[in-house]
Amino acid sequence: MNAPDRYERFVVPEGTKKVSYERDTKIVNAASFTVEREDHTIGNIIRMQLHRDPNVLFAGYKLPHPLQYKILVRIHTTSQSSPTQAYGQAIEDLDKELQYLKKALEEEKVRYEENLRQGY
Amino acid sequence: MEGAVSYQRFPKVRIREIKDDYMKFELRETDASIANALRRVMIAEVPTVAIDLVEIEVNSTVLNDEFIAHRLGLVPLTSDDAMRMRLSRDCDSCDGDGQCEFCSVEFHLNVSCDSDQTLDVTSADLRSTEPRVCPVDVAARALSLGVDSTSYDTGDHRGILIVKLRRGQELRLRAIARKGIGKDHAKWSPAATVTFMYEPEIHINEELMETLTLEEKRNWIDSSPTKVFDIDPNTHQVVVVDAEAYTYDDEVIKKAEAMGKPGLIEIYGKEDSFIFTVESTGAIKAYQLVINAIEILRQKLDAVRLQDSEESDFGELSAHL
Ligand SMILES: [Zn+2]
Repeated sequence: MNAPDRYERFVVPEGTKKVSYERDTKIVNAASFTVEREDHTIGNIIRMQLHRDPNVLFAGYKLPHPLQYKILVRIHTTSQSSPTQAYGQAIEDLDKELQYLKKALEEEKVRYEENLRQGY
Repeated sequence: MEGAVSYQRFPKVRIREIKDDYMKFELRETDASIANALRRVMIAEVPTVAIDLVEIEVNSTVLNDEFIAHRLGLVPLTSDDAMRMRLSRDCDSCDGDGQCEFCSVEFHLNVSCDSDQTLDVTSADLRSTEPRVCPVDVAARALSLGVDSTSYDTGDHRGILIVKLRRGQELRLRAIARKGIGKDHAKWSPAATVTFMYEPEIHINEELMETLTLEEKRNWIDSSPTKVFDIDPNTHQVVVVDAEAYTYDDEVIKKAEAMGKPGLIEIYGKEDSFIFTVESTGAIKAYQLVINAIEILRQKLDAVRLQDSEESDFGELSAHL
């Protein structure tokens, strides 16, 4: 009867920002990003992509609580970069990777079906 | 972000098999986070259409209204248009009513029994107002009958059972199917199973292996719960017959140690190579499920981008100084 709506798990409430970030007060080039209504799916790929960036000294994410539908991504970079730059670059690279993957899969399907036709 | 270097990867795919509701493929040159994100999106975030609202007009069956509504929700519906459809939640044509043509499909069901024989109410009794959205088993049968009436086993296939009626019982209702995702309710999940495994890499220490007698080799091979190894009948050498049958159970490694031959075998999971198995409920084709998952993941990434106004802290260092 008083159960929360199921969509609360993935719909960002009005007046809430999807992504917000806060700089670390003590460390230069360190910040925490709060991503609303996301989970391990996004958190883990961003973290792993950040690890590919040599300017990233630390990157980690956590899902603080299963009933708090948000993740925290913490990034610490060298002075050559900044947390926002690294974060943006990670998303950009992931997006391009997926775009490439989709094209590769479509081409592979054409090849696969061509092989079938030739009675492979 | 001018001059920023890219750390992008270029994954490779090889399809092994495609059927309407099944697909097996290899994914290489990426990492487990991408493989797992794709798996999770296929299960929980690729949209389909499923019955979401049921208005019961008459129900004199043995099952109560909500029980029947739940069963109707679980019937997989053909969802090729789901990616293009609107979610009722943010449909502005019907103002949250969720009953307009852009965000819903209406179904009617009207069955009554007036014989002494038990009457099955099945998915085949659901009448759709939109031919592109109907129960998947009904669509599959219509398709196979149209092409070749002998190819599909029509004998006992009478649709997905919803409820059984005896004489005098009746079920009459109106149902609204809506777009949704598995995260909301499992009835919207297009995936029956999605799994991936690391491609195993098996190295046999041939020198050490030749110190074993044929009997010892057989014992060692038999220690594996799955058939990964066999003996070549001509050379009596141990060969890998099916590397992918290995379940990372470590049994052959333990057996080698127990036989006093540590290092006889080394098995690694290649950390950038995955073998995917995708099974669809039929709501969308397995291949399309993978394609849609990639597209949804891209949309999700797009949503978590920082807005331009927030991205201008390149001068952070100077702000600290
Ligand atoms: Zn609508």
